[in-house]
Amino acid sequence: METALTKVKSEEYGGELIQLVSFNLEKEEYGINVLMVREIIRMLNITRVPNTPHYVEGVINLRGKVIPIISLRRKFDLMEAEYDKRTRIMVMEVVGELMGFIVDEVSEVIRISEKEIQPPPPVVSSGIEQECMAGVINQADRLLVLLDLERMFSADERRLFSNVA
Amino acid sequence: MSIDCEDQELLEGFLAETTELLEKLDDDLISLEKSPEDAELMNRIFRSIHTVKGASSFLGFDMLVKVTHKTEDVLNRLRKSELSLNSEIMDVILEAVDLVKTLVSDIKGGDIVERDLEDTISKLIPYLSEGAVEATVLAPVFAPKEETPPVPPPAPDPQEPAGAAPASAPPEAVAAAESAAAPKPAPPVAQPKPQPVKEPAKAAAKGDELADNSTVRVDVKRLDDLMNQVGELVLERNRMIQLHSDYQTGLDPTGFGDDFGKLSKRLNFVTSELQMQVLKMRMLPVEKVFKKFPRIVRNLARDLGKEVDLVIYGEETELDRSVVDEIGDPLIHLIRNALDHGLETPDQRLAAGKEPTGTVVLSAAHEGNQIVISIKDDGRGIDPERVSKKAIEKGLITEEQLASMGSREILDLLFLPGFSTKEQATDLSGRGVGMDVVRTNIRKLNGIIEIKNDIGRGSEFILKLPLTLAIIQSLLVEVEREVYSIPLASVIETMRVSKKEFHMIGGQEVLKLRDSVLPLLRLQHTFGCQEVYSERDTCYVVIVGVAEKRIGLIVTRLLGQQEVAIKSLGKFLSNLPGIGGSTIMGDGRVALIVDPIGLIGGAA
Repeated sequence: METALTKVKSEEYGGELIQLVSFNLEKEEYGINVLMVREIIRMLNITRVPNTPHYVEGVINLRGKVIPIISLRRKFDLMEAEYDKRTRIMVMEVVGELMGFIVDEVSEVIRISEKEIQPPPPVVSSGIEQECMAGVINQADRLLVLLDLERMFSADERRLFSNVA
Repeated sequence: MSIDCEDQELLEGFLAETTELLEKLDDDLISLEKSPEDAELMNRIFRSIHTVKGASSFLGFDMLVKVTHKTEDVLNRLRKSELSLNSEIMDVILEAVDLVKTLVSDIKGGDIVERDLEDTISKLIPYLSEGAVEATVLAPVFAPKEETPPVPPPAPDPQEPAGAAPASAPPEAVAAAESAAAPKPAPPVAQPKPQPVKEPAKAAAKGDELADNSTVRVDVKRLDDLMNQVGELVLERNRMIQLHSDYQTGLDPTGFGDDFGKLSKRLNFVTSELQMQVLKMRMLPVEKVFKKFPRIVRNLARDLGKEVDLVIYGEETELDRSVVDEIGDPLIHLIRNALDHGLETPDQRLAAGKEPTGTVVLSAAHEGNQIVISIKDDGRGIDPERVSKKAIEKGLITEEQLASMGSREILDLLFLPGFSTKEQATDLSGRGVGMDVVRTNIRKLNGIIEIKNDIGRGSEFILKLPLTLAIIQSLLVEVEREVYSIPLASVIETMRVSKKEFHMIGGQEVLKLRDSVLPLLRLQHTFGCQEVYSERDTCYVVIVGVAEKRIGLIVTRLLGQQEVAIKSLGKFLSNLPGIGGSTIMGDGRVALIVDPIGLIGGAA
């Protein structure tokens, strides 16, 4: 069914359809490929892990599996904010490992055609590292930043993780 | 040339069975040499090799058949007493068995490499009565290979690299040997030996893998018990669901507390049973490791010109397979050292008024939640003066450092990489790697090493290892409101001290503990915890030991002892200093497990 739908739509737009989970961080909207997202959970007790990069909040127990939690606010050098009842942890599979990312709010799943994705603007003055921006989606009433977390934890980043040792 | 085997299952069965037979074979052959009259043993050996031959001919592994066939012939003659067993025959048979192992590991690796069988087979032939005839018959078979230059002495006795590869730094060495495609022979066999060296080196590395534990054979009864326990667990779960729905529908809420109490008790019982069962399945007798030692000792003793009696106790002691895998190499080094450095030659022994035959005792036993393995020799013992002199000579320590060392610390120098009392490195020892390997592996296992030394009368190395690596007993401590778990296997003692008792020596906080000086580490600083209790003037010191080192960890409070299951922190957080993993507490929160190795490494 899904494929049939995709096909029709893609003919219409002339491009592959992808689904994105959109979430908010500091009033900006971001999108991430739905296939990356394993689950979305509420905030729970996070155990701090010493000697880690500042954006690593700690670890949680996800039904018997211990996974690292990363604060996207800190990762992108945004202002720290209190966690409230809309704060969510998005559990994603990044380079074969489960990780949780704290975001302000998860809003919806949207479908877009690949053609709508524009390359990121050449100068990004926000803290978001250029390399983990896969592109922007410019729709009539909204602007979405498409993230590529695989790239965020590219070789560099992983080295950083292990270099702390 | 890859293996074209239609029935993968058949092949796997063959490999599992053959590997098992070959492991046993080594052991049996050594026993046979000691008691050549044992017909039962002889028959068992014969049967094993016969089984291997049968299976390989069925599967069409021709090279295996050739070797096993000749070996079987020789064994048959021994069995019929047409030949009498001596150490030359044994050497040849052992060599043939090694070749078989190599071939089997080739098959396991999925690649059949053309190997030179002729060399080994030609050695077997003289022991066959119709030797001359056989030789001529066989010649054509190997005709194409006839040109290969009279192959150098049986390459380096296959046993040699088998021991030597793990000798000099196992992980790298094995890796190096495995990538033997590299032009140079692997470092362990660095002597300029002729070409064929590469092959056996690779074979040795593979031979080690041959004994790997990727599949498990479990007693059916244990499996049935497990199934039974799982059934119980399901039952308890159903009761729990029932209880909950009863409670929600408001049916007799008064009895809920009672019922729930009973349920949790039963659940506790079932899960701990289950835990034991699963743990038992992971257990292996330490015999798996011990059984290769008689042969190593035999070869070493011969090479060194010493007479050695190896006595083994407690080989039935069971421990976790993960531990079994790791202790092989350290034990080989310790045994090597006992033979090479510890025991004297027969002449020296006689001069010292001892029996000419030295004794090495290898024993294993359970002690509480640990397994204790000891290697004891009745040789000359370790001379601390010689050790300290060498360490200074090699520039490993300075005179001042030596002056402040107790006798314990001096013995610990043995473990320094690069330390060796040998003037010259030989095949056997002297590169100063062995003891470092011992230390590294024992550390990895969260174990402790103790040395008992009696100059002139021998030395004893005692390894204390945790039984399993998956579930450990741990000491829960609080460091400024954060909970950490310290593996109990590394904890030696805990004490409550006043901060006034701490001293500073050269920027290092220390504590005077009885007759030794203990370096201290504030976990709060190491882990960067926020200080919440600033005005307390007493705290607790947890004294932990890693291999031969001791250190005191300063914590705020001791919370108690708990059995915890170790959970990995995942790839991203795997390299944190001082953190060995994590565990999940009763309330679902994660507590980090302190890694004493990392801490001590950082403090030293």
